[in-house]
Amino acid sequence: MNAVAVTGIDCRFPGAQDPGAFWELLMRSGDGTGPVPPPRWDPSLTGGPTEGGFLADADAFDHEFFRIPPRDAAAMDPQQRLMLQCAWRAVEDSGVAPGRLAGSPTGVFVGVMGSEWAQLTLTDLPGITAQIGSGNGYCMIANRISYHLDLRGPCMAVDTACSSSLVAVHLAVNALLTEECDRAIAGGVNLALSPALGLFYEKAGLAAPDGRCKPFSAGADGIGRGEGVGAVVLRRLADALADGDPVYAVIRGTAVNQDGRSNGITAPSRWSQQEVLATACRRAGADPHEVSFLEAHGTGTALGDMIETRALGHLHADRPRPRPLALGSVKGNLGHTEGAAGIAGLIKTCLSLHHRTVPVSRYAARENPQLRLAEQGLRLLKAPLRLPSGEPVLAGLSSFGMGGTNAHAVLESAPGRAVAGTRRAATPPDRSGVGLPEPSGSGLGAEVFVLTAPTERALHRNLMAQADAIGRRRTPIGPLCRASQRVKTGHGWRGAVVAGDSAELAGRLREAAGALRPTGLNASARPTAPTHPTRSTSPTSTLSSPTTEPPLTAWLFTGQGAQYPGMGARLYRESALFRRHLDGVDTALLPHTGRSIRDLLLTGDPAVHRTGWAQPALFAVGHALGATLTEVGVRPALLLGHSVGEFAAAVHAGALPLEDAARLVAVRGSLMEQLPDGGGMLAVHASADRLRDLVEREPLVGFAALNGPRSTVISGDLAALERIAESRELDGVRLRRLEVSHAFHSPLMRPALEAFRRVAEQVAGGTPRLPFHSTLRGKRLESEQLDASYWTEHIEAPVLFADAAAQLLDERPTHLLELGPRPVLTALARRLDDRSADPEALGRSTGPVALHPLPDPESDGRALAETVAALYRAGIDIDWTAAAHPARDDTPARLTPYAFATDSRFWHTGGPTRTTAPGALVAVREEPRAPQSDPSSTDAATATPPAAVTTTATTPPPQDPVATAVYETVAALGGYDPTALSHDSRFHDDLGLDSVALVELKERLTERLPAVGALPVQELLPRLTSLGELIGYLRQETSV
Amino acid sequence: MTTPGPVPSVHVRSAGSALPGEPVDNTALAAALGVNEEWIDVFIGTRTRHFARDLTSGDIRWTLADLCADAAANALENSGTDPAEVEFLVLGTATPDHLMPATVNQVADQLGLDQLPTYQLQSGCAGAVQALSVAQYLIGSGEFTTGLAIGGDVCTKHLDLRRDLSEAAPGDLVNCVLFGDGAGAAVLSSRPGDRAVALRRVLNRCTGLGREPGQIIDWFGLADRDEPRQALIEDYKAIEESVPTMAVEILWELLDSLGWAAGDLDFLLPPQLSGRMTRLITEQLGVPEAREISCVADTGNNGNALPFLQLERLLQEMTSGQKALAVAVESSKWIKAGFALEHL
Repeated sequence: MNAVAVTGIDCRFPGAQDPGAFWELLMRSGDGTGPVPPPRWDPSLTGGPTEGGFLADADAFDHEFFRIPPRDAAAMDPQQRLMLQCAWRAVEDSGVAPGRLAGSPTGVFVGVMGSEWAQLTLTDLPGITAQIGSGNGYCMIANRISYHLDLRGPCMAVDTACSSSLVAVHLAVNALLTEECDRAIAGGVNLALSPALGLFYEKAGLAAPDGRCKPFSAGADGIGRGEGVGAVVLRRLADALADGDPVYAVIRGTAVNQDGRSNGITAPSRWSQQEVLATACRRAGADPHEVSFLEAHGTGTALGDMIETRALGHLHADRPRPRPLALGSVKGNLGHTEGAAGIAGLIKTCLSLHHRTVPVSRYAARENPQLRLAEQGLRLLKAPLRLPSGEPVLAGLSSFGMGGTNAHAVLESAPGRAVAGTRRAATPPDRSGVGLPEPSGSGLGAEVFVLTAPTERALHRNLMAQADAIGRRRTPIGPLCRASQRVKTGHGWRGAVVAGDSAELAGRLREAAGALRPTGLNASARPTAPTHPTRSTSPTSTLSSPTTEPPLTAWLFTGQGAQYPGMGARLYRESALFRRHLDGVDTALLPHTGRSIRDLLLTGDPAVHRTGWAQPALFAVGHALGATLTEVGVRPALLLGHSVGEFAAAVHAGALPLEDAARLVAVRGSLMEQLPDGGGMLAVHASADRLRDLVEREPLVGFAALNGPRSTVISGDLAALERIAESRELDGVRLRRLEVSHAFHSPLMRPALEAFRRVAEQVAGGTPRLPFHSTLRGKRLESEQLDASYWTEHIEAPVLFADAAAQLLDERPTHLLELGPRPVLTALARRLDDRSADPEALGRSTGPVALHPLPDPESDGRALAETVAALYRAGIDIDWTAAAHPARDDTPARLTPYAFATDSRFWHTGGPTRTTAPGALVAVREEPRAPQSDPSSTDAATATPPAAVTTTATTPPPQDPVATAVYETVAALGGYDPTALSHDSRFHDDLGLDSVALVELKERLTERLPAVGALPVQELLPRLTSLGELIGYLRQETSV
Repeated sequence: MTTPGPVPSVHVRSAGSALPGEPVDNTALAAALGVNEEWIDVFIGTRTRHFARDLTSGDIRWTLADLCADAAANALENSGTDPAEVEFLVLGTATPDHLMPATVNQVADQLGLDQLPTYQLQSGCAGAVQALSVAQYLIGSGEFTTGLAIGGDVCTKHLDLRRDLSEAAPGDLVNCVLFGDGAGAAVLSSRPGDRAVALRRVLNRCTGLGREPGQIIDWFGLADRDEPRQALIEDYKAIEESVPTMAVEILWELLDSLGWAAGDLDFLLPPQLSGRMTRLITEQLGVPEAREISCVADTGNNGNALPFLQLERLLQEMTSGQKALAVAVESSKWIKAGFALEHL
């Protein structure tokens, strides 16, 4: 099968900033053309076209995103800049994070037929710089894409005049079919920066006086020039289908030929056009009469339209087809986009097949009678043509070059989505035995949408862009989130929000954006200097990645007392992952408990308060929460379990197999339950020291838990406890009699010890493989094994939580995760943390963040998803595939692609005139515009930022002479705004400065800082990566 | 695109529904309206219903278009039908969000559908069946393959929480406790998908010549907004008298036209007036061998959603070789409606 799938699209055309707007323009038969905008040229001075199809914001370029120094960006042909951004967005649209293509055999084929930038910049000989070299040249338009995305497949620019970009598509298709590459980006770009080509059209009698193409219309009077940039991502259809990629349309066959020695080099040839159409159809294995509609070249010149329709007539007149071939051309909407004409036609055709509607051809209502279209078996698209659904539709696409290189493609509608069948009928049979429906959300029970960007400002902009796009129409949230996890990861600044539907998601994204303080949003406007980048007054750096320490998560497993009937039951219903892991623990426990713990929890049985059930139930819930998190990629750095919580901690530390731990917990609970009643526990708001004498006087009472400096639990014989409670020493001390069946961790436990030891000895407990903070020892275990004697001692000995947790907190965990049915330990730990009035700790803005995946009986999947989202924001890479619903095959939705910054603009001033005044390259940085007013952003100033996005401290601007010298020199070297730099800015990764630039930097610095002496550049280069490091080094050198 | 030849058979591929928010039980409703809970239990027999309007704040949380789009999306998902396959929309409702644009077009917008024919049928409980009927004709014409029939109503427009109902007459009270909000939808196609449930017959007939309407829902404009007319009038006496009789006639007309015997029926979908009325009517229909599929006691009377809610439950149970028959009566101008399904 020679079919190639179009999986991604991006474009900008006159009057349409993206494919969605392009489709709307087409469907309302809109006109994208207008007067020549400044600063292109002034027709009153130059002559030439006064109207045409021009791109808005053709000068804007997000150089920061691609880490291109402003000086280089200013020298780059804007066609390079637009094509680069367009390629990135097309890859995202195809459902792939562009970063994932690095090193892949991906080809790049770009059609282009003019570089008017070169005409403007290369004629100023004294102004030639190194940047202008790489800033020009057709090849660079394609090669830039391969460089910045690190693509290793064939890469070339193609110039066959007006057919360039369809020929580029043809080459891309062939490269895929011959397996030269596995994926290809094919596109085209065209900018009209000079009136020269328009003047040529005038002289050749081809120019439309009103600057508008009117294809096949009675009013057709020539060509109007148009600009545009477009790209598609192509894959072999079989690969695309195998990977579940969304497909817009399929390219079935393409052909390219030449008209050779035709009737003049620029004259079109009917014979050659017939030939290329027939060849493409043959390659597609299709008869021309099977084609439903055709996107014509259709320039709107009398001769061109006549020859094209005659060539089509040769294939379609008197053919057995129910209706004549429907014909149209996008040139009526955009003008002739020349090098981008083929890709404009291809994108229009793909969108038509995708939406199953072919837009009208503008100006078709007044058909040119001389073309006698009906006789040719043709009809103009005077009204939108709705294509039949559920059956394949074929379309043709022509693009012809001025010099005689013709191209044609035959496309087909995307194969129907495999009918998944009645989802409910296809649900696997319920094995839980309690008649629960399959969980409906993601594997976590709720959906997480993620978004990353290289800077805080970019994250803000993109959060807003997604919010706007998602808020526009209610769509299923699963496919949106799946797409975000596939496509939107990879940059340093991370956002992640949890939502139940698309409307809520849009709101949460706006809130997340509101919690950010993107640089410069409050900066006041300043006048711009004509030839230098404007200095913004932004207070913090935009050119660095967030300095994130890897998160250190401590897992705390809750102990007895936290249980309640039905704990975890809602989460079990909502989260497929938790359900699977709780089922797993249940299976491990069942031989020892005799009754399903899972069923006990799901039925809300109050028996869970009896210790024989409470212990295995807490173990089950704690372990299943931990296993769920482990499955999605979260790993504990530190572990702690309170009393019975230590069993689940031991499993996650690799010291006990699940089955053994299950057996021990079940036996432990059962033996304790068999002990006679009569014991009790007393929580005392006092230190253990204050109680010691009282406890020592009572042989049947012991310390059960030392939870904090003023939080102690004693346990034992009820009468003895009463004596202690009534004692004079405890006058005025707050006491609480715990509702327990037995005196845990007390001498009353002794009768159970021997029986437990006998079972425990059959279990081989190992050494924890992860830092394990034992509440038996009150410290981190070094080499002790969690064997029979450990677990036996564990029954009677006090729980030294305060000591164990204090030592754990000394490790400075960033997050405390409590794995239990309600938050108990995180609250105790927070009190311990406050106690440690460590002067160093004052510098820390916050202590560890407490996270709880199951905070209360109402917890469905949301708290679990919020926990995972918080950990992702903190820098943990989540396995989103594992987090997705295992039984659901959600085809990812298409998200709006990356929104590039438009506040940096680069253009050539002066413009071409009939005088000889030289032009100049300018980089213009506008002040960032304040974002649209948003109710949530006003709250952000006062409210604590909802932790939906990472925030980071930035370094203050430089103050000493060394730092000033470095900042100013680097800024001058790269054309950067000095206030946009920071100590964290990295020379290569953030600023795009290569080794040549660094040598130049060294020379300039040696000159400016004579005290430093000669800098050993060879040694320095590998070690100094950021401004801060260089400044540190130079300070050292100057102080010596 | 018209293809000559045999009339394509029409299949119900799937159904879906959307009920707003959590169910409101009689305790909550009685408290909100200040009426007697036991009276609702005994005389209405409806246990729970859903409201698009927040009972406390009075805010509208879902429009009819929201509910219909959700129901349609669920129906599409239930058969794995690509929205791009949908070639037409037919919506039956008595309570559109606006008179213009017709709600069906807002639904199309929410579903991302464009360039296709849409129809909205202004009708009460029979509107859902009328939507099925139009869909059957459209597909039967051969011009269309797949489309959506939708029914939905948002009755809370007339649930005035500010009224003092403590002195209201029972007839007036019924209006406040009978209704609920919701929407349902079905995907119909000449291509059956992976289960073949054929739509064998649809009945839609106005039989009210010369009869006073059994139900009137009025609407008000700028000129008459202050007139002291009641927005909702029901002749419950006439309804209780006529609806059971009409239901029996509908049952037999459908059975006879298909050559089916009452004993052939595996499922019966009776009219859904209220928990109590539906029980009475089902007894009179007298086909105890057929399994009854009803929902009104849980969903409240949400008008044109009901037949689709029943259809959704039916499709979950129906297996190969089984037959089902649905009966609906619209008492406004005495419309007989019903349809028959056969799982091939």
